[in-house]
Amino acid sequence: MKALVVDDSAVMRKILIGALGQAGITEVGEAADGQLAVTAAGGGEYGLILMDWNMPNMLGIDAVKAIRAAGQTMPIIMVTTEAEKLRVIEALKAGANNYIVKPFKPETVAVKVQETLAKVGV
Amino acid sequence: MNVAYINPFIESVNDLFTTMLGCSAERGKVGLVKPGEPSGDLTALIGLSGPVRGTVALSFPDTTARAMVGRMTGLPEADVAESLGDGLAELVNIVAGGAKAKLNSGDGAVTDLSLPTVVRGQQYAVEGLTQTTWLDVPFASELGTFTLRVTFEQTEAKKEPVGAAAGEGRTS
Repeated sequence: MKALVVDDSAVMRKILIGALGQAGITEVGEAADGQLAVTAAGGGEYGLILMDWNMPNMLGIDAVKAIRAAGQTMPIIMVTTEAEKLRVIEALKAGANNYIVKPFKPETVAVKVQETLAKVGV
Repeated sequence: MNVAYINPFIESVNDLFTTMLGCSAERGKVGLVKPGEPSGDLTALIGLSGPVRGTVALSFPDTTARAMVGRMTGLPEADVAESLGDGLAELVNIVAGGAKAKLNSGDGAVTDLSLPTVVRGQQYAVEGLTQTTWLDVPFASELGTFTLRVTFEQTEAKKEPVGAAAGEGRTS
Protein backbone atom coordinates (compact mmCIF):
# COMPACT_ATOMS: atom_id res chain seq x y z
CA MET A 1 0.00 0.00 0.00
CA LYS A 2 1.25 3.46 -0.90
CA ALA A 3 0.79 6.46 1.39
CA LEU A 4 0.81 10.17 0.60
CA VAL A 5 2.40 12.57 3.08
CA VAL A 6 1.17 16.15 2.74
CA ASP A 7 3.02 18.90 4.60
CA ASP A 8 4.65 22.15 3.49
CA SER A 9 7.65 21.30 5.68
CA ALA A 10 10.10 18.93 4.00
CA VAL A 11 11.50 18.18 7.46
CA MET A 12 8.08 17.12 8.72
CA ARG A 13 7.51 14.99 5.62
CA LYS A 14 10.80 13.24 6.31
CA ILE A 15 9.82 12.59 9.94
CA LEU A 16 6.42 11.24 8.89
CA ILE A 17 7.94 9.00 6.23
CA GLY A 18 10.16 7.54 8.97
CA ALA A 19 7.12 7.02 11.19
CA LEU A 20 5.24 5.30 8.36
CA GLY A 21 8.21 2.98 8.01
CA GLN A 22 7.64 1.95 11.63
CA ALA A 23 4.08 1.03 10.60
CA GLY A 24 5.43 -1.10 7.75
CA ILE A 25 4.61 1.40 4.99
CA THR A 26 7.67 2.09 2.88
CA GLU A 27 6.13 3.21 -0.38
CA VAL A 28 5.38 6.91 0.14
CA GLY A 29 4.63 9.89 -2.08
CA GLU A 30 4.92 13.52 -0.99
CA ALA A 31 2.95 16.72 -1.57
CA ALA A 32 3.81 20.19 -0.25
CA ASP A 33 0.32 21.74 -0.15
CA GLY A 34 -3.36 20.93 -0.25
CA GLN A 35 -3.77 21.59 -3.95
CA LEU A 36 -0.98 19.18 -4.86
CA ALA A 37 -2.52 16.65 -2.48
CA VAL A 38 -5.90 16.82 -4.22
CA THR A 39 -4.23 16.26 -7.58
CA ALA A 40 -2.14 13.37 -6.26
CA ALA A 41 -5.11 11.75 -4.53
CA GLY A 42 -7.07 11.89 -7.78
CA GLY A 43 -4.61 9.51 -9.39
CA GLY A 44 -5.98 6.67 -7.28
CA GLU A 45 -2.62 5.18 -6.31
CA TYR A 46 -2.72 6.09 -2.61
CA GLY A 47 -4.35 3.99 0.10
CA LEU A 48 -3.64 6.39 2.94
CA ILE A 49 -3.04 10.14 3.33
CA LEU A 50 -1.35 11.99 6.20
CA MET A 51 -2.51 15.61 5.91
CA ASP A 52 -1.18 18.79 7.55
CA TRP A 53 -3.65 21.64 8.19
CA ASN A 54 -1.80 24.93 7.67
CA MET A 55 -0.21 25.02 4.23
CA PRO A 56 0.09 27.57 1.41
CA ASN A 57 -2.19 27.48 -1.67
CA MET A 58 -4.81 25.23 -0.07
CA LEU A 59 -5.33 24.34 3.57
CA GLY A 60 -5.33 20.68 4.51
CA ILE A 61 -8.93 20.86 5.69
CA ASP A 62 -10.01 22.17 2.27
CA ALA A 63 -8.01 19.43 0.59
CA VAL A 64 -9.83 16.81 2.66
CA LYS A 65 -13.17 18.28 1.59
CA ALA A 66 -12.09 18.32 -2.07
CA ILE A 67 -10.80 14.75 -1.95
CA ARG A 68 -14.05 13.51 -0.41
CA ALA A 69 -16.13 15.59 -2.83
CA ALA A 70 -14.28 13.84 -5.65
CA GLY A 71 -15.44 10.50 -4.26
CA GLN A 72 -12.07 9.33 -2.95
CA THR A 73 -12.49 7.04 0.06
CA MET A 74 -8.94 6.31 1.21
CA PRO A 75 -8.36 6.94 4.94
CA ILE A 76 -7.02 10.40 5.76
CA ILE A 77 -5.25 11.21 9.01
CA MET A 78 -4.75 14.86 9.93
CA VAL A 79 -1.27 15.52 11.38
CA THR A 80 -1.27 19.09 12.63
CA THR A 81 -0.50 21.59 15.37
CA GLU A 82 -4.21 22.50 15.38
CA ALA A 83 -5.12 20.88 18.69
CA GLU A 84 -8.44 22.55 19.52
CA LYS A 85 -11.47 20.27 19.86
CA LEU A 86 -13.33 22.39 17.31
CA ARG A 87 -10.61 21.73 14.75
CA VAL A 88 -10.74 17.98 15.40
CA ILE A 89 -14.52 17.96 14.97
CA GLU A 90 -14.25 20.07 11.82
CA ALA A 91 -11.73 17.65 10.33
CA LEU A 92 -13.76 14.56 11.15
CA LYS A 93 -16.89 16.17 9.72
CA ALA A 94 -14.95 17.00 6.54
CA GLY A 95 -14.04 13.36 6.12
CA ALA A 96 -10.79 12.78 8.01
CA ASN A 97 -10.63 9.37 9.68
CA ASN A 98 -8.20 10.14 12.48
CA TYR A 99 -6.24 13.02 14.01
CA ILE A 100 -2.69 13.36 15.31
CA VAL A 101 -1.53 16.52 17.08
CA LYS A 102 2.05 17.76 16.68
CA PRO A 103 4.33 17.32 18.53
CA PHE A 104 4.19 13.54 18.45
CA LYS A 105 6.40 10.55 19.04
CA PRO A 106 6.95 8.64 15.77
CA GLU A 107 5.61 5.49 17.39
CA THR A 108 2.33 7.34 18.05
CA VAL A 109 1.97 7.95 14.33
CA ALA A 110 2.67 4.29 13.60
CA VAL A 111 0.01 3.19 16.10
CA LYS A 112 -2.60 5.63 14.76
CA VAL A 113 -1.89 4.57 11.19
CA GLN A 114 -2.33 0.89 12.03
CA GLU A 115 -5.46 1.67 14.07
CA THR A 116 -6.95 3.69 11.20
CA LEU A 117 -6.18 1.09 8.56
CA ALA A 118 -7.66 -1.64 10.78
CA LYS A 119 -10.86 0.40 11.20
CA VAL A 120 -11.37 0.68 7.47
CA GLY A 121 -10.47 -2.97 6.96
CA VAL A 122 -7.09 -2.59 5.24
CA MET B 1 0.32 41.62 29.10
CA ASN B 2 0.16 39.35 32.12
CA VAL B 3 3.34 37.28 32.23
CA ALA B 4 1.34 34.24 33.33
CA TYR B 5 -0.01 34.12 29.79
CA ILE B 6 3.37 32.84 28.73
CA ASN B 7 2.85 29.55 30.58
CA PRO B 8 1.12 27.78 27.68
CA PHE B 9 4.10 28.64 25.47
CA ILE B 10 6.53 27.27 28.06
CA GLU B 11 4.45 24.10 28.37
CA SER B 12 4.44 23.80 24.61
CA VAL B 13 8.25 24.02 24.47
CA ASN B 14 8.40 21.26 27.09
CA ASP B 15 5.96 19.10 25.10
CA LEU B 16 8.10 19.54 22.00
CA PHE B 17 11.24 18.45 23.83
CA THR B 18 9.76 15.41 25.52
CA THR B 19 8.02 14.08 22.40
CA MET B 20 10.18 14.94 19.40
CA LEU B 21 13.59 15.82 20.82
CA GLY B 22 13.97 13.10 23.43
CA CYS B 23 15.25 15.31 26.26
CA SER B 24 14.10 18.12 28.51
CA ALA B 25 14.60 21.88 28.48
CA GLU B 26 15.07 23.93 31.62
CA ARG B 27 13.64 27.41 31.53
CA GLY B 28 15.23 30.46 33.09
CA LYS B 29 13.54 33.54 34.44
CA VAL B 30 10.86 35.29 32.40
CA GLY B 31 11.94 38.81 31.49
CA LEU B 32 11.19 41.65 29.14
CA VAL B 33 12.98 42.06 25.83
CA LYS B 34 14.84 45.35 25.88
CA PRO B 35 14.78 47.54 22.77
CA GLY B 36 17.74 46.72 20.52
CA GLU B 37 18.59 43.56 22.42
CA PRO B 38 20.28 41.16 19.98
CA SER B 39 18.70 37.82 19.11
CA GLY B 40 20.33 34.49 18.39
CA ASP B 41 21.95 33.66 15.06
CA LEU B 42 18.66 32.27 13.74
CA THR B 43 15.14 33.24 14.72
CA ALA B 44 11.93 31.48 13.72
CA LEU B 45 8.77 33.63 13.89
CA ILE B 46 5.08 32.89 13.54
CA GLY B 47 2.01 35.09 13.84
CA LEU B 48 -1.22 34.47 15.73
CA SER B 49 -4.50 35.99 14.63
CA GLY B 50 -8.07 35.78 15.86
CA PRO B 51 -9.03 35.86 19.55
CA VAL B 52 -5.31 35.87 20.36
CA ARG B 53 -3.13 38.18 18.23
CA GLY B 54 0.61 38.37 18.39
CA THR B 55 3.93 36.85 17.46
CA VAL B 56 5.93 33.91 18.79
CA ALA B 57 9.67 33.66 18.18
CA LEU B 58 12.29 31.03 18.93
CA SER B 59 15.82 32.38 18.74
CA PHE B 60 18.85 30.09 18.57
CA PRO B 61 22.61 30.17 18.41
CA ASP B 62 23.64 28.36 15.23
CA THR B 63 24.94 25.34 17.16
CA THR B 64 21.66 24.83 19.02
CA ALA B 65 19.64 25.23 15.84
CA ARG B 66 21.66 22.54 14.10
CA ALA B 67 21.52 20.21 17.09
CA MET B 68 17.74 20.54 17.47
CA VAL B 69 16.93 20.06 13.80
CA GLY B 70 19.42 17.19 13.65
CA ARG B 71 17.78 15.48 16.62
CA MET B 72 14.28 16.00 15.25
CA THR B 73 15.08 14.68 11.77
CA GLY B 74 17.69 12.08 12.65
CA LEU B 75 20.06 13.71 10.16
CA PRO B 76 23.77 13.86 11.03
CA GLU B 77 24.81 17.41 11.97
CA ALA B 78 26.90 17.75 8.79
CA ASP B 79 23.77 17.20 6.67
CA VAL B 80 21.43 19.48 8.61
CA ALA B 81 22.31 22.75 6.81
CA GLU B 82 19.85 22.41 3.94
CA SER B 83 16.99 21.52 6.31
CA LEU B 84 17.81 24.14 8.92
CA GLY B 85 15.32 26.88 7.99
CA ASP B 86 12.55 24.40 7.32
CA GLY B 87 13.19 22.59 10.59
CA LEU B 88 13.24 25.76 12.68
CA ALA B 89 10.01 26.92 11.03
CA GLU B 90 8.40 23.65 12.03
CA LEU B 91 9.66 24.01 15.62
CA VAL B 92 8.03 27.43 16.08
CA ASN B 93 4.89 26.18 14.36
CA ILE B 94 4.62 23.34 16.87
CA VAL B 95 5.29 25.57 19.88
CA ALA B 96 2.75 28.21 18.79
CA GLY B 97 0.17 25.61 17.81
CA GLY B 98 0.34 23.83 21.15
CA ALA B 99 0.14 27.08 23.08
CA LYS B 100 -2.80 28.51 21.16
CA ALA B 101 -4.80 25.36 21.83
CA LYS B 102 -4.23 25.89 25.57
CA LEU B 103 -5.11 29.59 25.32
CA ASN B 104 -8.27 28.81 23.36
CA SER B 105 -9.53 25.89 25.41
CA GLY B 106 -13.16 25.89 26.45
CA ASP B 107 -14.83 28.34 24.11
CA GLY B 108 -15.79 28.96 20.52
CA ALA B 109 -13.36 30.96 18.43
CA VAL B 110 -10.05 29.46 17.33
CA THR B 111 -6.83 31.39 16.84
CA ASP B 112 -5.15 30.99 13.45
CA LEU B 113 -1.44 30.58 12.79
CA SER B 114 0.41 32.33 9.99
CA LEU B 115 3.02 30.49 7.96
CA PRO B 116 6.32 30.65 9.85
CA THR B 117 9.36 32.71 8.82
CA VAL B 118 13.04 32.20 9.67
CA VAL B 119 15.41 35.16 10.00
CA ARG B 120 19.19 34.75 9.94
CA GLY B 121 21.25 37.39 11.76
CA GLN B 122 21.15 39.01 15.17
CA GLN B 123 19.98 42.49 14.28
CA TYR B 124 16.40 42.78 13.13
CA ALA B 125 13.28 44.50 14.40
CA VAL B 126 9.75 43.18 14.43
CA GLU B 127 7.15 45.92 14.43
CA GLY B 128 4.22 44.40 16.25
CA LEU B 129 1.11 45.41 18.07
CA THR B 130 1.12 48.79 19.71
CA GLN B 131 1.40 48.99 23.48
CA THR B 132 2.49 45.40 23.86
CA THR B 133 5.71 44.06 25.28
CA TRP B 134 7.84 41.10 24.31
CA LEU B 135 8.41 38.53 27.01
CA ASP B 136 11.63 36.61 26.90
CA VAL B 137 12.26 33.14 28.37
CA PRO B 138 15.74 31.62 28.16
CA PHE B 139 15.99 27.83 27.97
CA ALA B 140 18.90 25.43 28.38
CA SER B 141 19.01 21.83 27.20
CA GLU B 142 21.52 19.18 26.23
CA LEU B 143 21.08 20.47 22.67
CA GLY B 144 22.13 23.98 23.67
CA THR B 145 20.55 27.23 24.79
CA PHE B 146 17.79 29.12 23.04
CA THR B 147 15.20 31.79 23.77
CA LEU B 148 11.43 31.90 23.50
CA ARG B 149 10.01 35.36 22.85
CA VAL B 150 6.31 36.09 22.82
CA THR B 151 4.12 39.13 22.40
CA PHE B 152 0.36 38.93 22.14
CA GLU B 153 -2.94 40.30 23.26
CA GLN B 154 -6.32 38.66 23.66
CA THR B 155 -9.08 40.50 21.83
CA GLU B 156 -11.82 39.05 24.00
CA ALA B 157 -11.41 39.44 27.77
CA LYS B 158 -12.61 35.93 28.48
CA LYS B 159 -9.69 33.98 29.79
CA GLU B 160 -7.82 33.87 33.03
CA PRO B 161 -4.08 33.24 32.86
CA VAL B 162 -3.28 29.55 32.46
CA GLY B 163 -1.27 28.05 35.36
CA ALA B 164 0.99 29.96 37.68
CA ALA B 165 4.53 28.77 36.98
CA ALA B 166 5.65 32.07 35.49
CA GLY B 167 3.32 34.33 37.40
CA GLU B 168 5.72 37.02 38.50
CA GLY B 169 3.12 39.76 38.04
CA ARG B 170 1.94 42.16 35.41
CA THR B 171 4.19 43.99 33.06
CA SER B 172 1.71 46.46 31.74
